[in-house]
Amino acid sequence: MTLFSIARKNIRQNFTNYFLYFTSMIFNIVIYFTFVTLKYNETFQATSDASPKISSAFSGAAVVLMVFVAIFIWYSNSFFTRKRKKEVGLYSLLGVRKKQIGRMLFYENFIMGILALIIGILLGPVLSKFFVSILMGVMGFEAIGDFSISLAAIVNTIMVFSLITIITSFQGYRLIYRFKLIELFQADKEGEQEPKSSFIMALLSVILVGIGYWLALQNLMESNAWKEMGLMVTPLVILATVILGTYFLFSTLTVYLLKMSRKNKRSYWKGINLIGTSQLLYRIKGNARTLTIIAVLSATTLTAVGTAYSLYYNNRSNVELANPISMMFINKDKNVTNQVRDIFSNNKNHDVIYHKSIPTLQINADVTTLKNNLFSNEMMYTVISVNDFNTLAKVQKRIDKLSLMGNEAAALDAGYYEGMSPNYIGSTISLKVNDRVENITFKSLKKYNVLNYYTASTTLVVSDQLFTQLGKETNSVKMEVYEITNEDEAKQLTKDIQLILPDEARFSSFYADYSAGMESSGLMIFMGGFLGLVFLAATGSIIYFKQLTEANSDKGRYEILHKIGVNKKEVKRSIAKQVLFVFALPLIAGIAHCSVALTALSRLMQTSLVIPVVICMGVYTCIYIVYYFLTVNAYYKIVTK
Amino acid sequence: MQTILRAKNVQKVFGTKGNLYKALEDIDLEIKEGEFIGIMGPSGAGKSTLLNILSTIDTPSSGEIMIANQNIVRMNEEQLSDFRRNKLGFIFQDYNLLDTLTVKENILLPLALSKVPANEIEKRVNEIADTFGIREILDKYPYHISGGQKQRTAASRAIVANPSLILADEPTGALDSKSATSLLESLNALNEQNQSTIMMVTHDAYAASFCKRVLFIKDGRTYTEIHKNHQSRQEFFQKILDVLASLGGGH
Repeated sequence: MTLFSIARKNIRQNFTNYFLYFTSMIFNIVIYFTFVTLKYNETFQATSDASPKISSAFSGAAVVLMVFVAIFIWYSNSFFTRKRKKEVGLYSLLGVRKKQIGRMLFYENFIMGILALIIGILLGPVLSKFFVSILMGVMGFEAIGDFSISLAAIVNTIMVFSLITIITSFQGYRLIYRFKLIELFQADKEGEQEPKSSFIMALLSVILVGIGYWLALQNLMESNAWKEMGLMVTPLVILATVILGTYFLFSTLTVYLLKMSRKNKRSYWKGINLIGTSQLLYRIKGNARTLTIIAVLSATTLTAVGTAYSLYYNNRSNVELANPISMMFINKDKNVTNQVRDIFSNNKNHDVIYHKSIPTLQINADVTTLKNNLFSNEMMYTVISVNDFNTLAKVQKRIDKLSLMGNEAAALDAGYYEGMSPNYIGSTISLKVNDRVENITFKSLKKYNVLNYYTASTTLVVSDQLFTQLGKETNSVKMEVYEITNEDEAKQLTKDIQLILPDEARFSSFYADYSAGMESSGLMIFMGGFLGLVFLAATGSIIYFKQLTEANSDKGRYEILHKIGVNKKEVKRSIAKQVLFVFALPLIAGIAHCSVALTALSRLMQTSLVIPVVICMGVYTCIYIVYYFLTVNAYYKIVTK
Repeated sequence: MQTILRAKNVQKVFGTKGNLYKALEDIDLEIKEGEFIGIMGPSGAGKSTLLNILSTIDTPSSGEIMIANQNIVRMNEEQLSDFRRNKLGFIFQDYNLLDTLTVKENILLPLALSKVPANEIEKRVNEIADTFGIREILDKYPYHISGGQKQRTAASRAIVANPSLILADEPTGALDSKSATSLLESLNALNEQNQSTIMMVTHDAYAASFCKRVLFIKDGRTYTEIHKNHQSRQEFFQKILDVLASLGGGH
C-alpha cells in the first residue's frame, strides 16, 4: 500500500466530515471563476457603459475572494490535521517516519484541493452562465445570447487555486514536525477543565460592545466623541470595541451566564438540561474565536448586502425623486423642440401621458441670509409660477396645492437633507433682476420637486403676479416636459432624443438615471450577495465540522446516557438545543451588529432600509437554518451509531 | 420473597447464516428480591452477553425475560429506555461517569432525568453520599478523584433512583485491592441493610465471595451454582476457587 493510496482511503472514509468543507470549496471556486470570467468577458463589458469600472470591481472582488479562500483552506487544513493527532501518533508508533506521515497528509490535502478544483472548473462554465444571467436580470439588461467562456478565466482560476492548494498542503506537512509523540497520544486524554468565569470580564464585554454601538449611533455632525477622535479614527475604534467585545461576549459572558443558569437547580436538574448545559460550558470557550470570526463575517456580509440591496430596492424611488418627469429639457431652439415632439408622436412603444411647456426664469439670488456654509453666497434658481406648480403637482398626482401672495415663495428641494440644507421657512433672500433686487420670503418648503433636478436644480415657486413682473425684467426660458408610459424601458427613445439635443438643453430623463442606478446597485448586490454566500458557506462548514468533531468526542458520553436510560428523543432534543446555542450566538451577534451599522447608515442616507435589510437577514438566516439542521442530524447520527 | 428477574431459555446467536456462533445456548436464571448474586465463568463463557441482555442493551435471539413483572423482550426502544431509567441501576468496570459533570451531578442524573423535584434530589443525593462516604468530593469533577471514589460515585448513581435491580459489570476490575474491598463492603451493606437486589458479573473469586450465591456459566450454559448459606466468607471463597478449578480454562 502506498502513501498515496492510504491518503485516498482516508479521504473516502472521512468524507461525511469533509463533505461540507469540500462543497464550500467547490462553491468558492465556481464563484471565483464567475468573477474572473466577468472580468475578462468583452461581450458583457460592451453591454455596459461603465465597463472599466465593472472590470475593476470584479478584479477587486476576485482578490477579496482569493484571500478569503486561502485563509479558509489554511484554517480548515490545520484544524483537520490537529484533529488527527492520535492517528498520526499511531503511525509514528508503528515506525512510520514523520516525513512519510507529512507526505501522506500533504497528499490528502492536495487530492482534496485538486478534486475540488476539477469539479469547480467543470461546474464553473455551466453555473457561471446561470449566475451571469442573474446578474443581467438584476442590472436590468437583456440576456446576452452568446456568452462565451474565456480560456483566460479558466487558466487564471486553475493557477490561483493550484497555488493555494499547494501552499496550504505544505502547511499540513510542516505541522507534523511540530508535534511530539507523547503529545499526540495525550491529545484526547487531557481532561477538559471547566472554564473559569469572571464577572468583570463578562461586564467588560457588554461595556465594549455598548461603547461601539453608542459611537456608531451618534450623529456624525454633532457628536463630541466623533469630533474628538476624528472621522478616520472613530470607525476604527467602533470596529475594535465591537470585535473585542464580541470575543469576550462569547468567551466569558456565555460562560458566566451558563454558570448562573446552573444555580437555578429547578431548571438545571430537569431532564437532560444537565447534560446540555454542562457540555456547552466546557465547549464554548474553545469555540469563542471561531464564533467571533463568524459573527464579524456575518455582520460585514449582511451590512454590505443590506446596503447594496437597499440601494437597489430604493433605486426607483430615489430616481423618481430626482426625476419626477420622464423626460425634460430646456427649449433652446424651436426647430429642435419640434423635432423632439415628432419623435414622441411617431413613437409606438410609449404613449405621452402629458406634455407641457413650462415658462421658467433662471435667476441668481443672494442667499447669505440662508446662513449655510456649504453654499456660496450666490445661487442660481429656476423660478416657476404657483399656477404652473399646481398644474404640475396635479398631473403628477400629488395632493398638494400652494397658494402664495405678494412676495411669498416656496422652495422645492428634492435633495433636502436635514441638518445640511438651509432652513428655508421664514428666511428672506434677494433675487437679482437686472440692476435691482426683489426680496422674497419662504413660506413653505417641499422636499420634492415637480421638475427634474438635472434640468431645473432647486426650484422656487412665486406668486403669479410676481412671476409676471419678474418675467418682464429677465429672460424667460421654456422647459419642455414629457411624461410617458413605460418610462423605465425607454432606452431607445432616450437615446434618440439625447442625440439631437445640445448640451445646453440640459436633457434629463428618468430612464438614464434609473438604468445607471440599476446597473451599479445591481452589480453591488451581485458581488455582495455572492461574496456573502461564499462567506456563509465557508463559515457554516467550519461550524459544521467543529460540531462533528465534538460529536465524535462526545460519543462516549452519549453511550453512557443511553445505558442509564436516556431515550433517543431526549438525546435529539438535547443535541438540537446545544447546537442551536452554538449556531444562534454568532447569528444573533451578527444581526445585532449589522442592525446598528445599518441604522447608522440609514440615518446618514436618510432613507428607511428596513424592508430590504429584513429580506437580506431573512435569506441569510434561512441558509443558516439549513446548516443548522444538517449539523443536528449529522451530530445525532454520530452519537447514536 | 418476590422474584425480581426470571429468564427462561435465553439464547443468543451471533453471526450470519453459515457462520453462526452461539454465545448463550440455553440459560435459565431466577433472582429473588434482596439477593446478591455473582455470575462467574471463564473468558468467552457468555457473561458479558448475558449481562447486556439482562440490562436491555442487547436483545436475546430467543427466550423470555421478566424483570419486575415486565417482559423486556417485547418492549420497544423507548419503553426500554424508560425501563432502564426506572428499574435498573448500573455499575461498570470503567465507571462510565460523565466528565463534564461534578460527582454530585453524576449521581443525581437519573433523578433529574425522571424529573424528580430539586429539593428531593438534594435529600436523596446527600443520603447516598453518606452511605458511600463521598460527601467531601461531591463538588469535584471525575478527573480530580481516585478510581475507588469514581466507582463509589458510579455505585451511588446506580442506586439513587431506587432501582429494582442493580447490575454490576466487573466493578472491581480497575481498582486496587483496598478500594475493591471497600466497594464490595459497601455493596454488601447495601444488600443487607436496604434489601437491594444486586447482580454482579466478575472474574475475581475474591469479589464473588461477597455474594450470597454464585452462578457459573461455561460455553453459554449454566455450569453450576453454589450458595454461601452459613459459611464464612473465607470458606465460600475456597469453594468458589474449587469450582473455578474444575471449570478449567482461563478465567
